[in-house]
Amino acid sequence: MSMGPAENVYLPKIAVLDRVVAEIPEVKTFYWRFQDPAEQQPFRRFRPGQFAQVSLFGVGEFPASLPPSPDEDETFFTIREVGSCTAALHRLRPGDRFGVRGPYGNGFPMQQYHGRNLVFVAGGIGLIPLRSCIVYALQHREQYKSIQIFYGAKTPQELMYTEALKEWANARGVECHLTVDRAADGWKGPVGVVPSLFKRPGVEVKVANSTAFVCGPPVMFRFVIQDLLAMGYRECDIVSTLERYMKCGVGKCGHCCIGIAYVCSDGPVFTYEQIKDLGEVL
Amino acid sequence: MKARVLNREDVLSVVDLLRRQGYEVLAPFRDRDRDTGFEAVTDENRARLELHLPNPFYPPKRFVFPQVERLMTIKTNASVQIEPNYMERKRAIFGIRSCDVAAIGHLDRFYLGRDYRDAYYEKRRQNLFLVNLVCTDAEQDIGKDCFCLCTDTGPAARAGFDLQLMDLGDDFMAVAGSPEGEALLANQMFRSATPAHVEWRRNILANARSRFQNNTSWFSATVRYVSQSEVLEKTWEEIGNRCVECGGCTYVCPTCTCFTVADRCLGSQEFERVRMWDSCALSGFTRMAGGFNPRRAVHDRRNRRFFRKLAYYFILREKSVACVGCGRCAAVCHGDIGMPAVVEMIRRANHGVTQP
Repeated sequence: MSMGPAENVYLPKIAVLDRVVAEIPEVKTFYWRFQDPAEQQPFRRFRPGQFAQVSLFGVGEFPASLPPSPDEDETFFTIREVGSCTAALHRLRPGDRFGVRGPYGNGFPMQQYHGRNLVFVAGGIGLIPLRSCIVYALQHREQYKSIQIFYGAKTPQELMYTEALKEWANARGVECHLTVDRAADGWKGPVGVVPSLFKRPGVEVKVANSTAFVCGPPVMFRFVIQDLLAMGYRECDIVSTLERYMKCGVGKCGHCCIGIAYVCSDGPVFTYEQIKDLGEVL
Repeated sequence: MKARVLNREDVLSVVDLLRRQGYEVLAPFRDRDRDTGFEAVTDENRARLELHLPNPFYPPKRFVFPQVERLMTIKTNASVQIEPNYMERKRAIFGIRSCDVAAIGHLDRFYLGRDYRDAYYEKRRQNLFLVNLVCTDAEQDIGKDCFCLCTDTGPAARAGFDLQLMDLGDDFMAVAGSPEGEALLANQMFRSATPAHVEWRRNILANARSRFQNNTSWFSATVRYVSQSEVLEKTWEEIGNRCVECGGCTYVCPTCTCFTVADRCLGSQEFERVRMWDSCALSGFTRMAGGFNPRRAVHDRRNRRFFRKLAYYFILREKSVACVGCGRCAAVCHGDIGMPAVVEMIRRANHGVTQP
């Protein structure tokens, strides 16, 4: 045992909420910065796909993915209100303080995908963790070949990041396909589940030399995986990010341990090849 | 390191010596019936100290990883202040059994290994002095559920202690396991051991080994079946059917590491963040906000516990099976699915299938 002074990983750093933007019902984006500006730089070295532990004092902590690209100017979380911690975050006003520690987890190895096509498949709020990769890929556009985005939500009102989606659709070498399960007033796009986009006329999902990022509800995940494998995708070329109940984020509390992996420290990003072996995921 | 001996009547002087050096000394005391528990030695209770008594169910793990531990206090007045709470007191455990010494070694590798170190565990561990007592008394020390012979962690620890004491009858043998322990042996009550003492030690240990009732909990086959996912689903279901989901096994386990964290109110705008032992036997262990629970069935939760303790992958990672053969889970389990029973159930069920 080495006896040097240990850094205490459980201590949150104090963050200040700058502004809140409503995204879709129950989901808001929280722009924030550290109270101590010196904390900003080390935190900003996070990788797409990593997460942070968000602390609401007197309520608790929860893990939240980091939707910004590390190269963006602002740091933010996009959070759906589901439990007591997220509800407490939703109650905060600009200027209020909360805690952040991290970044944690492995993140997507974006360098490994240099020279490849990137295919993003997301459903609902599954776009939140993938947003980081998409923006990162666009900021390093020359490193990647074509980029395809397939995204769906239950209704047009529940499509996330609509401004960004428009921007991405107009970017060079990017295809952006949107769908909704149920159309509502004014929706002129496709209606159907996300995998139905793959079969639409004029759509050709890249398979050779491609990596597919899949993130969404379990039922979507299962069908998308089935289709991708049928198209000829190798299991190791499909990546996703898992969610689990977590308390520590650093591989100690044990809640997120499935199969041989701690989702927090060995993940949350896994290839489908790994996910298949972990069991109890789908 | 050289073995020493000391007179039987001087053994408790080791406690006094440690107390004089500023240690709070914790030792097992007898309560009612079989019940024993660790308490701090004081001038009042010192005379009640016993050298041979059943190992307490409530494991000494709590001196490095307490059942409830305040991590920090948080004040949210005009500004937010977060103060960590560390336990800095020097403490010694007198009479820790070999299984529990091995367990603390396992916890060291878990909490201080990998990418992140646990600062709370580290502070407590740095200040902890371990006086291991070898289990030699077949009536008191060796319980009917003890199976450390199968996990190779007892009855005499080989390492991990600062000082090891062993009852030789008229004398006790003392062996140091650390420089701090060696320093203690400089006291004049210790004298060099003779070859006769060493021979006597060997005989006593051989006799102690022969007194274990459970010496057939063969891990090797079970570790293989568990690691290769070859355990039959019906075996897990059988194990799950017998689990009453009390979580007792995890609370008495000296190697269980899981915890949950909660914020508690201390006053207006003042909170404490505490961590508490948690149990994978309980259904809420994996339930996420919103109610989705990826691990619902009780047999999946049992599968999880034994996989985490026995899978080869984790053995490599922590350099030991997460079981030290203390037998506590076997003693407290209402459904008789403590570790030795499960090891046996898996081995037998698979034996019939994979080796017809």
